Amino acid sequence: MSDSMEQSCSSASEAARNAPSVPVDAVATKRFPAFEAPFLRAPEAARTIFLTITAAACAPLIAGILFFGWRAAYVAAISVASCVVVERLYFRATRTPAMLGRSHAFLTGVLLALTLPAFVPWYVPMVASVFAIVIGKAVFGGVGHFLWTPALVGRLAVAVLFPATMTPDAWPMLAQEKMLVGDVVRACTTEDYRGWSGRPAPAGADAFKLTPPTKVLSLLTRPVTAPEGTPESKAEFSALAYPPAWSSQASPVLLRAPPPNRLPPINDLLYGARPGAIGETCAIVIVVAGLYLVYRSYIRWQLPMAFVLSAAIVAAIAPIRLAGPNATSQTVWWPVLIEGLDVGFVYVNYQLLGGELMLAAVFLATEMTSRPVTAGGQIIFGAGCGVLTMLLQLYTAVPVPAFMAVLAMNTLTPSIDLLWRPRVLGRPRLAFLRGRRWMIAAASRYKPPSPQQRRRSI
Amino acid sequence: MGRRYGTFTGGIDLPDEKDATLGRPIVTCPPIARLRVPLAPCGGAPAESLVAPGQRVRAGQKIARAADASGVDIFAPLDGTVASLTTAATAGRYGLVVSSAIELTDLAAPQRLQSIEQNFEWSGADTVLLRMRIAEGGLTVHRRGCEPLEGWIARGRTKGVGALIANLMESQPFVTADHQLMVEHGLGVVHGLALLARAMEVSRVFLAADQRRTEDYRRALAPARMHQIQTVALPAKYPIGADAILTKILTRRETPPGGEPMDVGAAVVDAATCLAAYRWVACGDPPIGRVVTLSGQRVRKPDNIFVPFGVSCVELVGDAEPPVVHGGPMTGLRCTDDVVVSPSTDAVLALEAVVPPVPGPCIRCGWCTDHCPARLNVSALNDAFELWHIPRAAGQGVRACVDCGVCSYVCPACLPLSQRMKQLKREVGRRAAMPGSEASV
Repeated sequence: MSDSMEQSCSSASEAARNAPSVPVDAVATKRFPAFEAPFLRAPEAARTIFLTITAAACAPLIAGILFFGWRAAYVAAISVASCVVVERLYFRATRTPAMLGRSHAFLTGVLLALTLPAFVPWYVPMVASVFAIVIGKAVFGGVGHFLWTPALVGRLAVAVLFPATMTPDAWPMLAQEKMLVGDVVRACTTEDYRGWSGRPAPAGADAFKLTPPTKVLSLLTRPVTAPEGTPESKAEFSALAYPPAWSSQASPVLLRAPPPNRLPPINDLLYGARPGAIGETCAIVIVVAGLYLVYRSYIRWQLPMAFVLSAAIVAAIAPIRLAGPNATSQTVWWPVLIEGLDVGFVYVNYQLLGGELMLAAVFLATEMTSRPVTAGGQIIFGAGCGVLTMLLQLYTAVPVPAFMAVLAMNTLTPSIDLLWRPRVLGRPRLAFLRGRRWMIAAASRYKPPSPQQRRRSI
Repeated sequence: MGRRYGTFTGGIDLPDEKDATLGRPIVTCPPIARLRVPLAPCGGAPAESLVAPGQRVRAGQKIARAADASGVDIFAPLDGTVASLTTAATAGRYGLVVSSAIELTDLAAPQRLQSIEQNFEWSGADTVLLRMRIAEGGLTVHRRGCEPLEGWIARGRTKGVGALIANLMESQPFVTADHQLMVEHGLGVVHGLALLARAMEVSRVFLAADQRRTEDYRRALAPARMHQIQTVALPAKYPIGADAILTKILTRRETPPGGEPMDVGAAVVDAATCLAAYRWVACGDPPIGRVVTLSGQRVRKPDNIFVPFGVSCVELVGDAEPPVVHGGPMTGLRCTDDVVVSPSTDAVLALEAVVPPVPGPCIRCGWCTDHCPARLNVSALNDAFELWHIPRAAGQGVRACVDCGVCSYVCPACLPLSQRMKQLKREVGRRAAMPGSEASV
C-alpha cells in the first residue's frame, strides 16, 4: 500500500518536473547538463572551507600542546587518524557519497581532539572518533546531513562510557619550565599553588594537579553536602572577594580562598594556564582564531557573541549561595552587584573562562551543518546555548555543560530554521505565519486522488 | 545627483571584468554571409511574412507583419535577397525559444550606427499619436523575455504606473553595451526616455547609472534635467540591476512575489530600448540592430559592435570554441548554433571553458541565504526542491526570486541553486494559476 503510494507520488513529481511550460531547447540542456548560468563561480569550495576551519582550529590545539605537552599531540594524532580511517572504512563499506570527503573527517578529528583532556589513554580518542563519525555523521547520511555536531557526539560518548577517566577530581597541568616537553601524567598535588607563572614544578613530577576552576566555582551554587549526614548542605563561602562585616578575616572568600579551593589568577585563565581539555583553555588564541574565521566569513560573529553575552548575563543574574551569619546560608541574586561591579566583573569572567564555553562558542556551536542558517536564527541558537550552558554549569553536575548545551540546541536547529525567517522581498512582515495558515488550509482541503487518477499518473 | 538612496540587503561584489570593452567605441559589424531574422523575437505567434523567396529587400523594408498583439512588425536589417523560411532560436524569459525566421543572403555590408537628424517634433506631440507611432515601428523592450513596446506601454498605463526607471546599471561582469551607448548616443537615450515617459504619461522619471561611470555620461545629463529626468548614481553591488531591486531602491516599493515592478507602479527600461524608440519616433529609423558587447577571455578582439538582428551568435564570436554565452555571465544562456542576435541580446561572450563542477551535498554554510537580494532562505528552498515539496517552497516565498544567480555563484558545494529556484518558481506559478488554488503565494 505504502509502496504504491510512494511510487505514484514520485512518478507524479517526476512528471511535473519534466513537463516544461515553455519551450526549452532540449539539445542544449541535454548536451551540457551541468553547465548553465551563472557561468562564473566564486573560488570557495566546501573543501577549502573545512581545511581553513581546521587550520584555525589548529591554533588552540598548538596552545594545548604547549600547556599539556606531547600527550596532547598524541591524543590529537590518534583522534584525527582514527576519524579519517573510520570515515574511509565506512565509505568503502557503504559507498555513501557524502562520506567521501576526507577534509571534513580531518576537521572532525581536530575538533574532537580540542574537546578531550590530554591525560586520557589511547583508546579514549579512538572510541570518541568512532562515535563521532558513525553515530554523529554517517547514520544521518554524511557531510551536510547530520543533526548534532559530530565531534560533540564523540565527546558525549566518552563522557558517558568512561566517567571516571574523563572527570577526575583534580586535572593535571604542566609547570612552566616543563612546557611542551613534559609528561602531563606525571603530576602531583601542590598545597600552595598561587599561579602558574614562574612556579617551579613539584619535585619528581612535570605537572600540578589542580581543581578545575568551574568545579571551584560550583561550590557557590552546588555546595558540597556535609559528610556527617546532616540534611542541610553547608554554605562554603561567605563572599566573593571581601569578607563581610559580620565575619572574621579568616572566613573563606571565593576569589582568594586557600588551596585547593583557590582559583588561579584571572590572567592564567586568559592565556590558558589552567587545567582543562586540550583546546579549551587558551581563551585569547580561541578568540583570535574565531576572529580570523569571521573575517573569512566562515562563521558569523553574531553566534559566538550571542553565546558569550547570554552566558555572561545569566552568570551576572543567576543566584549564588553565600554563607550568612550564624552558619546560615542565603541565596543572593545579581552576584555581579553584591560586592560592586569590579568584583562582579571578575566573577563573571571566571564563570565564562573557567570551562569550555569559549571553545564551544567559537568552534563547536558554529559547525556549519548543525547550526541555523539565518543570522537571526543563529542569534536565537547562540543565546539558547549560552543560557543553557550557564544554567547547567551553575546548578547541575553535568560533565561538560557547554558541549551538552550545544548538543541540546543542535536538536532544536531545524525548528529554529523553520520559525525564524527573514522577511522575503515584497511580503509583509511575519507573512510566514500567514503562509503557514494557508498551508494548513490547503492540507485540510486536500483530497486523496481517486484510483483512476492514480493510475493515470503512473 | 542630489538625493541619497538606500541599498539592499544581500548581493555581492562581483569581479568587474569590463576592462576589455569599457570605453571602446561602437564599431561596425564585419561583413556577414547570411542573416536569420527571427519572426517572433518576443515569443508568441510569429509574424506573417510579406516577402517571397528570391525577392530582393532593402534595409529598413518591412518584411513581416505582426500576427497578433504579442508580436511586432519585422524590418529587413540589411539589403539582401530572401533565401528561405527557416528557424532560429532567441532568448526567452526561461530559456531558448525556437521560432521561424526569414533567411537573408547576398547581403550588403553592415552600416554604422550613426546619429541622424530628428524629423519629428516629439516633445510637443499628442501622447496618443506618440503611442500609435511607437506601435507602427515594431519596437520591443530590449531585455530578456522581451515584449512589444506598445503592449508594454499599454500595460503600464492599465496598471497606473507612476515612475519610469531607465536601468543603466549593467551590474553583470563583461557587459558594456548600454554604457557605450550612453557615452556615444547619450542624447538619443535621454530623449528616448523622455519620449517613453511622455507616451506612458508617468509623473516621475529616473535614470539610474553606475556611480563609477557618471563622469562619462556628463554630456547627456543636461538635457535629462531639461526633461525632468532624475539622475541617480548607485553603487555597483550585484544584482542592483535586477528590476525588483532597482524599483525597491528608487521608489521604496517592493515588488510582490511572482509579480513585476509594474504592479507597484514602476516600469523599468534599458538604454537600448530608449535609443530604439527615439530613433524610430523622432528620426524614422526602424529597429534593425542593436549594440552588443562581444567579450570574454577567448574572444580575440573584444568590442562593442552594432550588430544587425539575425546574425548567428556563434559566427559573431568567430573561431572561439564553445561554450558561447548569450547575455551576461550571471543570467545568460548557453548558445546553440541556432541562436541569433535579437533585441534581447546585450552581450555575446566566449568565456573560459570551465569544467562543469560536480555538485556535492549542501553543507548549510548559509552563504546563499546571506547573499540573496530577495532575502530567501535558499538552503531551505533547496531542501524543498530535493523533496519536491512545492507548498513548502511556496510558503518560503520562492516567487520573490529575482533570478540573479548569486546563490549558484557563491555555493561552495557547487549546487545549481539558481536553476533549482527557477524550476520551483515555475512550478509554484503553475500551481497557483490552476483553478481552485489560493493565490496567496
